Amino acid sequence: MFGTGGDHTLGGGRIGAEPGRTRRPGFGRSEGPQLIPVGGGKGGVGKTFVAANLAATLARAGYRVVAVDVDLEGANLHTALGVRRPRRSLADYVAEREEDIPKLLEDTSIENLQLVAATRPNLGSPQPGHARRIEFVRALRQLDADFVLLDLAAGTDRSVMDYFMVCDDGIVVLSPEPTSVENAYAFMRAAFYRRLRLAMLSEELRTLVGLAMDERNERGIRTPFDLLREVEQIDPAEGARFGRVMRSFRPRVVVNGARSAEDIRLGFSVCSVCRRYFAIEAEYMGYLNHTDDARRSLRALRPLVDAHPRSDAAVYFGRIARKLLETRSQTGGVA
Amino acid sequence: MKPIADQDHYEALDVSPSATRDEIERAYHLAKATYADDSLAGYSVFQEGELPLLRERLENAYRTLSDQDARRAYDEELTRPVRYGDSEPTEPFELPRAVDVVPTVVPPPLTLARDPDAEEGEEEQGEYDGARLERLRVRRGIELDEIAGVTKVNPAYLRFIEEERFDDLPAAVYVRGFVKCYARCLGLDPDRVARSYMQRYEERPSKRRRGLFSRRPTSPAR
Repeated sequence: MFGTGGDHTLGGGRIGAEPGRTRRPGFGRSEGPQLIPVGGGKGGVGKTFVAANLAATLARAGYRVVAVDVDLEGANLHTALGVRRPRRSLADYVAEREEDIPKLLEDTSIENLQLVAATRPNLGSPQPGHARRIEFVRALRQLDADFVLLDLAAGTDRSVMDYFMVCDDGIVVLSPEPTSVENAYAFMRAAFYRRLRLAMLSEELRTLVGLAMDERNERGIRTPFDLLREVEQIDPAEGARFGRVMRSFRPRVVVNGARSAEDIRLGFSVCSVCRRYFAIEAEYMGYLNHTDDARRSLRALRPLVDAHPRSDAAVYFGRIARKLLETRSQTGGVA
Repeated sequence: MKPIADQDHYEALDVSPSATRDEIERAYHLAKATYADDSLAGYSVFQEGELPLLRERLENAYRTLSDQDARRAYDEELTRPVRYGDSEPTEPFELPRAVDVVPTVVPPPLTLARDPDAEEGEEEQGEYDGARLERLRVRRGIELDEIAGVTKVNPAYLRFIEEERFDDLPAAVYVRGFVKCYARCLGLDPDRVARSYMQRYEERPSKRRRGLFSRRPTSPAR
């Protein structure tokens, strides 16, 4: 492995000016940006806050970042990044007014950070179908950037999950509340079963996985372990494939709005539960403290890490960004 | 990963077989919090009646792995089937079910000499000095920076509290507040801890006793 981990020193909230323009050998895949979806199931847990500030943190460190809002129903990443009225948006692409993704890019006040907004001229404008979403993601992979962050909508609808599928290790934001924890599990399980379904070759097994997604299924499949056993019985080769998919999915958990040590530890517990009960190798990526600065910086239409680069939150974002960089050389996209 | 019923003690605690004592302690406390009745992380996951069983499984694993002799015996149990498997290649290797292994490894009696804080309920009595606070903190896997992040207390002061560098700490009224915050972060009773700790603070051997507002403390660098 390359010693990339030590090269990126994002310390104390102020990030060492690491030139993102010089690509290291073996950095990322052959070419193209790393796509990082930010989801979490529940609304209001801070997906947009995390996406905007993580994007800004990476951009401030010298990486070329594109932040993409894929929430056409509740677009506001542009506001979090201080772009009041985006001139272009994902809606233009969906409506086939604009096919050239680089033309959708809006500059932000932060160097190296560009935005694809999701504002819609009118509420009746169309939603993209599955094929159009896939096409969009493919186009994002062609962008000349180091990182492309996707700010996902709430829920576990197919339209949302398509975007979470773009890599093995998307970010799941949760806040220390039962409602959020419940939805985060639902979100990760939905992503997990969707991946399994996609990986199975035979129609029979795809149906079986679909069945298992419903917890009250009649076959009595309660956990992924049960499901694996069933699959192995039907076809050992598919069982092996199933096992590989199981191991490759590594969502990364971020706890937003931590007010106590207990809240901080929640991330560890959630990952432990994921591993043991859902066969999901979740990784705890870090936490963000509860802070009034978040609201203040939003009012000022600036990402927190840009408005308050020395705040605690900026330090925490720095830690999370560093983890992203450390693992960057090891992660690839889904085949 | 395997289904719960097939997990050995290490898997039950979610640690590697080469885990150190500290790692086992930390994993145990994390798992205890995870499987508590009011656990946030367990919300919507567990079915009724499942948690007591999981806790029992956890205690079982911890009892064995936290005792050196019992752990060594258990490790031998774990590896034995592999050696037998070598001579009988037709038999598929299967890890012994942890529940079957337990009775052969007699759980150590609870009277074994141990760290005074290792037992459940230990936090209810005794004096809280800096060293004990540190021990309790480390066992919970919490870093000083994390406490500082949540409580906004300068991490240097938190360190001074653990090191009992009373002369470097500000006036009593502040220290009491800091200690309470600290205790709350660890899930300890803030009042009890503060009372105990402040008694030590008041009885400190220093000649330069400070009144409430007699001297502004010099702020240590963050």
